[in-house]
Amino acid sequence: MIFGSSQKRGLKIIIVGCGKVGRTLVDRLSKEGHDIVVIDQKQERIDNLTNLYDIMGIQGNGASYSTQVEAGIKDADLIIAVTNSDELNLLCCTIAKQVGDCASIARVRNPDYSKEISYLQEKLGLVMIINPELEAAREISSILSLPSTLEVSSFAHGQAEMVEFKIEEGNILDGLTIKNLSQSSSSKVLITAVKRDDEVVIPTGDFVLKTNDIVCAVGARRFARTFLNEIGFKTRQVKDCLIVGGGKASFYLAKLLLQARMNVRIIERSKERCEELSIALPKATIINGDGSDEALLREEGIEYVESFIPLTGIDEENIFLTLYANQVSNAKVITKINRISFDNVMSQLNLGSVVYPRQITAESIIAYVRAKSASGDGNDILTLYHLFDQRVEAIEFNITEKSKATGVPFSVLQFKDNVLIAFINRNGKIIIPSGSDTIEVGDTIMVVTTHTGFATILDTLR
Amino acid sequence: MNNSVIRFILLYVVGFLGLFLMLPIFVAFIYHESVWVDYAIVAFPCLVAGVINSYFKPKKFSFYLKEGFFCTGASWVVLSVIGAIPLWLTGEIPHYIDALFEAVSGFTTTGASIIDNVETLSHASLFWRSFTHLVGGMGVLVFLLTVIPLAGGEGSQFNLMKAESPGPSVGKLVPKLKNTAQMLYLIYLGLCALEITLLLIAGMTPFEAINTGIATAGTGGFGIYANSCAGFNVACQWIIAIFMFVFGVNFNFYYYVLFHHARDAFRMEEVRMYTLLTLGSIGIITFNTLSCSAGLFDALTKAAFQVTSIQSSTGFSTADFAVWPQASRCVLVILMFIGACAGSTGGGIKVSRFVLMGKAVHKELISYIHPRSIRKTLMDGKPVNHDTVRSNNVFFGTFMLVFFVSVFILSFENLDFSTIFTAVIATMSNIGPGMSMVGPAANFAFFTDLSKIVLIFDMLAGRLELFPILMLFHPTIWQDLFTKRRSKELEHAGKIFKNK
Repeated sequence: MIFGSSQKRGLKIIIVGCGKVGRTLVDRLSKEGHDIVVIDQKQERIDNLTNLYDIMGIQGNGASYSTQVEAGIKDADLIIAVTNSDELNLLCCTIAKQVGDCASIARVRNPDYSKEISYLQEKLGLVMIINPELEAAREISSILSLPSTLEVSSFAHGQAEMVEFKIEEGNILDGLTIKNLSQSSSSKVLITAVKRDDEVVIPTGDFVLKTNDIVCAVGARRFARTFLNEIGFKTRQVKDCLIVGGGKASFYLAKLLLQARMNVRIIERSKERCEELSIALPKATIINGDGSDEALLREEGIEYVESFIPLTGIDEENIFLTLYANQVSNAKVITKINRISFDNVMSQLNLGSVVYPRQITAESIIAYVRAKSASGDGNDILTLYHLFDQRVEAIEFNITEKSKATGVPFSVLQFKDNVLIAFINRNGKIIIPSGSDTIEVGDTIMVVTTHTGFATILDTLR
Repeated sequence: MNNSVIRFILLYVVGFLGLFLMLPIFVAFIYHESVWVDYAIVAFPCLVAGVINSYFKPKKFSFYLKEGFFCTGASWVVLSVIGAIPLWLTGEIPHYIDALFEAVSGFTTTGASIIDNVETLSHASLFWRSFTHLVGGMGVLVFLLTVIPLAGGEGSQFNLMKAESPGPSVGKLVPKLKNTAQMLYLIYLGLCALEITLLLIAGMTPFEAINTGIATAGTGGFGIYANSCAGFNVACQWIIAIFMFVFGVNFNFYYYVLFHHARDAFRMEEVRMYTLLTLGSIGIITFNTLSCSAGLFDALTKAAFQVTSIQSSTGFSTADFAVWPQASRCVLVILMFIGACAGSTGGGIKVSRFVLMGKAVHKELISYIHPRSIRKTLMDGKPVNHDTVRSNNVFFGTFMLVFFVSVFILSFENLDFSTIFTAVIATMSNIGPGMSMVGPAANFAFFTDLSKIVLIFDMLAGRLELFPILMLFHPTIWQDLFTKRRSKELEHAGKIFKNK
């Protein structure tokens, strides 16, 4: 009775490297109940984590055989290498693969390898290679393609889009109920979550929208855009972009934006780095100077630029630049925050769109882990996405087999409270479900919920 | 500090105490004794408090080092104060301070008694005395960690285990705290069951076997006969001796042996040193006592039993070692200071601390010969954190400070030095019997109340390795407990202000 473990069996996960991403992963994965061992070279960093979370720490070189064995690689299910060095991460995973035959995930950030990611992944047998800077750049560029929104994310291989926007004063949505909205609008979108003041709700049909609500809507890609048009948002993508800081994320972002034929300017402090960037990005304008210098920003026309993205390595500087830009210009500003985690303060600052690279990374890993612990392989969850400071989860499930949930109309299925089926993707067609629709094998469906830890579609049922 | 978590844990402990008190009631029913009423009077309110408490879970489970230490210290005080009540209610120990002494001695696995003739006690009380050893041996909070639903806290409940488990640095066996605690208890109870079985085979009655078994497991030392273990046959004595040794070994050793890390197990320097010390001491005492015993085997049996008993801090006896030759007594007193391994159920300063200390002394010596040499202290082949070495030194200092202050207070008793000196070390190291007037044939009943209170403090401080108990005397902690409530009020006031 005392020793019979009734809890859900967690996976045995080894995390190498206790940096920002490592810490975020520990935080989220330990809360989901997995057995975690961290490896780091510095005892101090391990102690910081083991004092806070229910995990075990081992000091040593994560790529060495004996350290991995000590950490229990032989019965581990997953190793995640997120040290500073790409090469070390790959080596960690390669060795782990040989010793323990466990699934492995490595962080590889260097643009030199970015073209060879899929080759590396296949040849080294990794289940995932993560690149937070690239992911952040992707997210920023998708927001820039719809600058009037706060966040844009795509699901169902780009077929569906989720947009997050704020209802400004005088918008036609003010005072409308969700039910009326779906009747009056020609485009089929679904309001999945609303944040009002400090509360987050999954709205029902009778919910009344108000000014200053932050709303999350899901629909097929083209509908999402026409919907935004209808309610009076601009859907034109921005034409030019001023980036401060010339790090890896800037490089990836500039590359994506140049592909979308935007005009890109990068301000970077180090002359050497400027030269490197000018070789790698011949079409971009590289400016050598201090991006936190007000005079330089004015000279580069911060007042008139359409979008402004501070991507320096220092969060505080990014926040300051954002606040400054909001004051002097109408540009779309997106803030990247790496380290700071004062959510409450941040939401009061009214920064607009904020991108957290470490969380984007953590999301994809958690999606994989959750699916793996539920089914053994890692294919059940296609994407996992967090909204509103991680208080709402949007999960895209792959329906691979028949179950209690399939073939039954939604009006009959008993879902838990605060669970919403946002759409069904049937062979590329996005269906916003009504009471008579059913889930079929082969669909992917998106669930929006305030619960955490759903690993299969069955978890959403009562 | 997080008051609600502290309240929750303390009352959880009380609830479990109520559950534990069911066992002596059960024993009383078996032997048709009327004392079950006294146990029930205490058990029932405890159970009710525990059940009610489990409905009021704290909102925040945040847990930091100071909460961990405070909780541990306070839990042990609460445990002892309540655990003593039934002994006092039954009238078998008429004076409450004496009952408290007996209960603390039980929970801290000391085994020092104030009862003249234990054979007059009821079976229920005898069992309760032995059972407190089992509870205190591995620690009640570690037990709590195997069952308590504390998940989801921001801090780690690991701090509870850190505070309760003995040793210079406490580590986990497996990543999850709950599983680590379960593993420890599994090993603990498994070994205990094994010993009871062997004792039964060797010819003890079930009551003797169970009492002796659980008292050995916790390295306690309360016997159920006035002459402790001298009345048992030689086979039983050897089984007890071996198990006393076994329970004094670092439990990580058994984990390594059980889960295919046997090589790591035998590499543990502490266990090697502990074995070496035990064998050496047995050798010396055997030859030293050869003249006053009936042959080599008799001397060996007695020496082995006494050395394992003292070194593991159990405190059983088969001979009155207070009348042994000077050298043998000296060896035993030294062993009292050294104690068992870290991470075992035994007490004392711990072998690993002495090993670390020895290495630090060696390092210091080298630094006089080669002043610019750099030398990192290694333990089991791994570098030892400077912080660990530092806190090890501080522990030695604090131990000595507490020791000498206690000796000074006891000196007002006007007894001979050997009595008060060994009385203090026997309680601080959780051993039980000392020398001279507190030897195995005597007891602690003759001390004044003040001295008893000092010894009670010493037992608790020794079991929890000083700091959790010393922390209870620091004014900041109490101020902190009070301040938290005030800051909440302020928060509330702030909210009202904001709404306006």
